[in-house]
Amino acid sequence: MSRKGTSIRLAAILTLSVLVPQIVGAHGGVVQEDDICVIKVSYLRAHFKVYQPRVSGHEQFCEDLPIASESVFVMEYLHDALATMPIDFRIIRDVTGKGRFARLEDIEMIGDLDDATVFYQPAITEPDVFTVIHRFDEEGDFIGIVSATQPDTRKVYAAVFPFEVGYTGVGYWPFFVAALLLLQLQYLLMSGRFKRWFGRRSAAVSAAVLVGLFLLAPLDTVVAADTELRVTYSTPAGQPEINKIHSWVLHVESKDGLPVEKAEISVTGGMPEHDHGLPTRPRVTEELGGGDYRLEGMRFHMGGYWEIEVTIVTEQVSTTVVIPLQL
Amino acid sequence: MSRYPFLICGILIAAFTSLAGCQDRPSDPAAWTETELAILKSLALDSLPPLPPDPSNAVADRPRAIQFGRALFFDPRLSANNGISCASCHQPNRHFSDGLPKGQALGTSNRNTPGIIGTAYSPWLYWDGRRDSQWSQALSPLEDPEEQGSNRIQIVRVVAADDAYRDDYVSLFGPLPDLDDRLRFPGISGAAQGAEWQAAWLAMTPADQHEINRAFANLGKAIAAFERSLMPTQSRFDEFVAAVSGDEAAAASLLNDDELRGLRLFIGKAGCLQCHNGPLFTNNEFHNTGVLSAAGELPDKGRVSGVREVTRNPFNCLGEFSDDPERRCAELEFVRTGPELIGAFRTPSLRNVEFTAPYMHKGQLATLAEVLAHYNEAPDAMIGHNEAKPLGLGKRELRQLEAFLRTLSGPVEGYQSDSM
Repeated sequence: MSRKGTSIRLAAILTLSVLVPQIVGAHGGVVQEDDICVIKVSYLRAHFKVYQPRVSGHEQFCEDLPIASESVFVMEYLHDALATMPIDFRIIRDVTGKGRFARLEDIEMIGDLDDATVFYQPAITEPDVFTVIHRFDEEGDFIGIVSATQPDTRKVYAAVFPFEVGYTGVGYWPFFVAALLLLQLQYLLMSGRFKRWFGRRSAAVSAAVLVGLFLLAPLDTVVAADTELRVTYSTPAGQPEINKIHSWVLHVESKDGLPVEKAEISVTGGMPEHDHGLPTRPRVTEELGGGDYRLEGMRFHMGGYWEIEVTIVTEQVSTTVVIPLQL
Repeated sequence: MSRYPFLICGILIAAFTSLAGCQDRPSDPAAWTETELAILKSLALDSLPPLPPDPSNAVADRPRAIQFGRALFFDPRLSANNGISCASCHQPNRHFSDGLPKGQALGTSNRNTPGIIGTAYSPWLYWDGRRDSQWSQALSPLEDPEEQGSNRIQIVRVVAADDAYRDDYVSLFGPLPDLDDRLRFPGISGAAQGAEWQAAWLAMTPADQHEINRAFANLGKAIAAFERSLMPTQSRFDEFVAAVSGDEAAAASLLNDDELRGLRLFIGKAGCLQCHNGPLFTNNEFHNTGVLSAAGELPDKGRVSGVREVTRNPFNCLGEFSDDPERRCAELEFVRTGPELIGAFRTPSLRNVEFTAPYMHKGQLATLAEVLAHYNEAPDAMIGHNEAKPLGLGKRELRQLEAFLRTLSGPVEGYQSDSM
């Protein structure tokens, strides 16, 4: 196995990133990337988070969990391939003696894996998001093992992440890490890493950054025309209705006012301020002639600012125009 | 660095705070702008359009079907233990809900029991919209092992064995299958999901299966005819809207100050209208609002699963049991899915909401105050993305919103408890 299966907690990662930087890029486990916690199943990545909803509500954890309680592990795929791969999820008591530095090779050397297993979710393909739930009965050191199988090649990719549930007493290593961290502080400040790290640790700061980004995002006021084409629309009720599926007639003409015929038209849209798309998947069902096209399946489920993106492809031109709509 | 940036910031903050203070100062709660009046009108029951036809259900508006469906709705014989009817969970005196986090029938159902009133206006049924008509929805609990736990052959048999039911059925739909022929139609009770029943079903000819499915669908259509007749009636809020365009002072006497301010928040800065719009206070669409998972359960995936199920359900609008020869199924045909529908659930109506606690898809929130506190906070969703944004409302404002929600109550049309 050439891949290094080591997973290291944040502090260790930051420390080792200076001492032996090459390890960080190569290991498969749970790491911090920018503001989010990411699990790397080989090259396949997913947003990783753990909740203890009964004791800490919506608070997210990356690896270590404060107490033994009902825990929900969530992987939101950042790589589409995971949506089609059978994934299994195992939690074992740490019987490797390696603690934070346990790697896949250590797991493979465990004689009776089932004996050490406290939770096992057999392989299952989850097309949307992968979740498992386990109630920890006792605190201690644990190791999570996630394996994803490539359905065609049967190749198995794995991630290993040691984690701690509850306070289990300290060995010498946290002091070792703390001392190293202090030494790193100046480096972190200078490299800008600290800023990213802090941003992740503080929900308030990340929220503020998000709000800031939102405020900075330019409000798109593109009219339904580009330099080549102009698009107008009409609806049966005179204007788009809310909460009623209805059809539009799109009229497409060139900048000279000539109807554009035999165009391939696709339509998407949504509410930029709410991060959601149209509730339906409308499509052009008929060309009516004279540059008119029947667009069916339009539905708006709330008032507010919508943008409808009309992509028009003809032999001469391929362009997208945005129709802004205030409903 | 000079201190000016801090000074300027301080001045700006002070200025904004005082401005905000001015805006928040209680104004006359009964004064409405033209735009606000138009919004109020759009929410009133008088604006509810006529019931849309359901071409997939030929008996949807026939009085005999309503009467037949009503009897089926209350009949516990349509269950594995002869003890559970639709009304066991959809209790009329609780506005067709049950007051429990999750429905309790033969077992515990998967989600909170949703109300029925006004669902004839919804293109989608269930919290995840996994059915696309009232009649196809009505079929599912009959065979769900946690709910009524029966099976379609047994259900049709109960109807065939009851003289009054048989007359109703034959007059509405024509002859019933010949259920006396036990070789063709095996007599197995118990849930349709059971192995024994599955084996017996698979051994039947496709033609016989079709005959049963047709009769089963017809019973759903009769139940839907009854459910379709259940409508909300005028609430105090509707009386207020009717009065407000004429005499604002008289109208104001219908709602107290807190209720008026709550209404103003509802149509304004609380943003409720984004989803709870129209006279039924719902857009019947699907939204992830970041509700916490229920105890001991995985986070519910919601609409992404519902879309898959409704598109392959044999009783859907495009299926062979629809009565519409033209298969007008725009909602199903143009349905879409996507990551934003992970953990998304259908917006429930807010009419009579004060009587339908607990709330949310698993009944996670016990009171209206908890629901409002949840939206005020708008926490990150466990799975998917919470569409809602934190509202920053004060405690008093939350109380006012709650007071307004309690003005949306009225009796149910289409059902009088003394007439059963």
